[in-house]
Amino acid sequence: MPKITSTQNLEVLHERLRAERDDGALLMTICGGPGCQATNCQDVVTEVKKELGSNGLNGKVRLRVTGCHGFCEQGPIMVIDPSNIFYHHVGPEDVSEILNRTVRDGETIDRLLYTDPATNKKVVTEADVPFYQAQSPTLLSQNRWVDPLSIEDYIAIGGYGGLAKVLSGMTPEAVIEEIEASGLRGRGGGGFPTARKWAACRAARGEEKYVICNADEGDPGAFMDRGVLEGNPHAVLEGMIIGAYAIGCEKGYIYVRNEYPIAVDHANEAIRQAREYGFLGKDILGSGMTFDIEVARGGGAFVCGESTALMASLEGKVGEPRPKDIHTVEEGLWNKPTTLNNVETWANVPSIINRGAEWFAGMGTDNSKGTKILALTGQVKNTGLVEVAFGTSIRTVVDEIGGGGRDGRTIKAVQTGGPSGGCLPAALFDLPVDFDVLWEKGSMIGSGGLVVMDEKTCMVDVARYFLKFLQDESCGKCVPCRIGVDRLLEIVTDIVEGRGRPEQIELLKELGETVAQTALCGLGKTAPNPALSTLRYFPEEYEAHVSEHRCPAGVCTALIEYSIDSAACNGCGACLKSCPYGAIQGEKNTLHAIDPHLCTKCGICPTTCNENAIIVQ
Amino acid sequence: MHQYVTVTIDGAKVKARKGTSVLDTALRYAICIPHLCHLPNLSEIGACRLCIVEHVQNGRTKVTTSCTLLAQEGMVILANSDRIRKLRRNIAELLVTQAPNSRAIQDMAVRCGVTEARYPFRQDDCILCGRCVRACKESYQAHAIGFVGRGKERHVNYVFGERPEECVMCRACVTLCPMTVTPCDGPMKPGEEYLCGKCQSVTQAPQYQVGDCVRCDLGQGFDCARHHQ
Repeated sequence: MPKITSTQNLEVLHERLRAERDDGALLMTICGGPGCQATNCQDVVTEVKKELGSNGLNGKVRLRVTGCHGFCEQGPIMVIDPSNIFYHHVGPEDVSEILNRTVRDGETIDRLLYTDPATNKKVVTEADVPFYQAQSPTLLSQNRWVDPLSIEDYIAIGGYGGLAKVLSGMTPEAVIEEIEASGLRGRGGGGFPTARKWAACRAARGEEKYVICNADEGDPGAFMDRGVLEGNPHAVLEGMIIGAYAIGCEKGYIYVRNEYPIAVDHANEAIRQAREYGFLGKDILGSGMTFDIEVARGGGAFVCGESTALMASLEGKVGEPRPKDIHTVEEGLWNKPTTLNNVETWANVPSIINRGAEWFAGMGTDNSKGTKILALTGQVKNTGLVEVAFGTSIRTVVDEIGGGGRDGRTIKAVQTGGPSGGCLPAALFDLPVDFDVLWEKGSMIGSGGLVVMDEKTCMVDVARYFLKFLQDESCGKCVPCRIGVDRLLEIVTDIVEGRGRPEQIELLKELGETVAQTALCGLGKTAPNPALSTLRYFPEEYEAHVSEHRCPAGVCTALIEYSIDSAACNGCGACLKSCPYGAIQGEKNTLHAIDPHLCTKCGICPTTCNENAIIVQ
Repeated sequence: MHQYVTVTIDGAKVKARKGTSVLDTALRYAICIPHLCHLPNLSEIGACRLCIVEHVQNGRTKVTTSCTLLAQEGMVILANSDRIRKLRRNIAELLVTQAPNSRAIQDMAVRCGVTEARYPFRQDDCILCGRCVRACKESYQAHAIGFVGRGKERHVNYVFGERPEECVMCRACVTLCPMTVTPCDGPMKPGEEYLCGKCQSVTQAPQYQVGDCVRCDLGQGFDCARHHQ
């Protein structure tokens, strides 16, 4: 492919590629995102390729393996266009039937259709799946139409059109104004207005400047950035090139964690293709602009998601944050002005330029514009990636998109924004997804993780879990985070292990607030959030642990006892056989009993009892 | 010619040389801001967080360390507000319960108003202020010791765990370490730690006002930067 040297040439290529893809052939899309790969979608792909060859359907069916569609719970997912038929849980054994019946004869296969849990009816098309209906997909939906390894797919859906628009007449200032008008805010957690960051970096003194894409996504249960970078890497590249033009710099980095090997590969391949087509390198699209991007792999430290620690790591130093009294837009990477944005922020830029700031600002709330990708995980029926407009209520996300609690259990809380976010109780589920509203309520959007917890979750134990994570991941540089979080964990561990004292609850709060105000970096400042937010919304659970030595959710092993309900036990012996410690005694058809001295409260017996006779309290 | 800027610290308008930190400026004018990891002529890492101040800007206050904050024209700083004193006390309490066996840190706890220890004592000793690491690297250009590990595992050690030939046993690291002076009553045994508090009289003397530097003995133990002036 010769280099594209002008915006007109790009337009010609775009038209040609679009026409090629409109030839009426059936399009079989298989999701190749991490969720579907975990359920072996590769085997399905191999089988389809094999069958297509032997069936003589080559040429009539186009196969496209894409990035994540979002509905990870139902993987592997296959969509057949133009009729938009949606199949879930597709295995390699289903492939020949799909090719014979659906592709050749146009029938749908009932067995592979998704059943709407609310109505119990089969859903034929993707558009009718309730999971997708409540979403406002603008960014994630591009994944569906793009093979991440094909720049031509991306150009066919109008890709690099935003860059062409920018280079064919917009001044850098106009680009920043457009972003400003769109109200785009950083998607990585802080929610800082992107345009203000760009403008400050543009105004900063210095010839050499850098742009960085932060793809060091480390929150447990969050995979938004992975979904975007793996599924649509060119959108990230295009955003970065536009940003580089606006800021005036010639070098960019994508800092991606090494635990995302597919993201690393796709980013590298996308960069190679972009260079080949002339979107990176010297004289981009004949405009004279020079810009190139390199991929840097992170070593897997949570703290390297913090901007200054990330830059230290990029420089080859130990990934530790430094005080930000001088902002990174003035002195960042190698002490040069640097703009660092999250994957999702960069990926939003091309659409804003292409479709206009007004379109983007038309979605969302007063202060939070556009859409946000959330990683919905935990005790909900439908887990996966969802993209909603800001302002959508948490209830919509959890109940409508997520399908409510698993096994009919009641949902108690959601943890938003990863470990440094906070827990919000079900009573606040009418709150909108919004940067400022959630911050006021002691939580945050963060990068977009949403962990749903039901009645069988102990909130004190949740606080302990996240504090343990944060203590493990603290870089250890400053005292409040290293010692403070350790002491918070010590107190919470005392409480879950039944050694809690009433005055410790007050101390927990005071220490939490001290760490929040005095820690060096943003991660340290938000580290006490799990403790503070659970303490704020679930004080009765802390009280129960401390004063009554009781764990209301029946989770904290030091505070619970297993016993057998004499009225419900039918003496079937299932629990007796399952107990690895021989703690359950009794004869067949007589009442069983648990010996508390032998019982380790491992939780196996309740899962084997059909009569629900094991009482945990 | 040096350029000067005017900074207001705790209501006092003072002149500061442009490019110096708020902490250095305050110490120069005898406004006491407790500090531990700061040493004159070494780079600032902002690790101990004791020298926190409130930086008032556009009606908002931001808590930040004064050692890393450079003095700028018209800056308003609150170094001893109630909020700051409470936060500083809590940090000092974390430090003294972590390393009670140091006169410097016991002194610091007294200076910051710690009167009770609400956490169980530990004898972790090194509080990772990094004075030794920076002195070795910056003053002596030896780069013989550094931080190893992350989080709870973080500690100071020779590079690769063995004494390199760059280390000439100058002992600068030892002299600068706040752990080298034991409390007045001698070393504390594990399980018998307590808050010393003997110097409390200094902060309770009639002439003592919060924030004033009285050239107290408290500073000697940890090498208060004021003693260098």
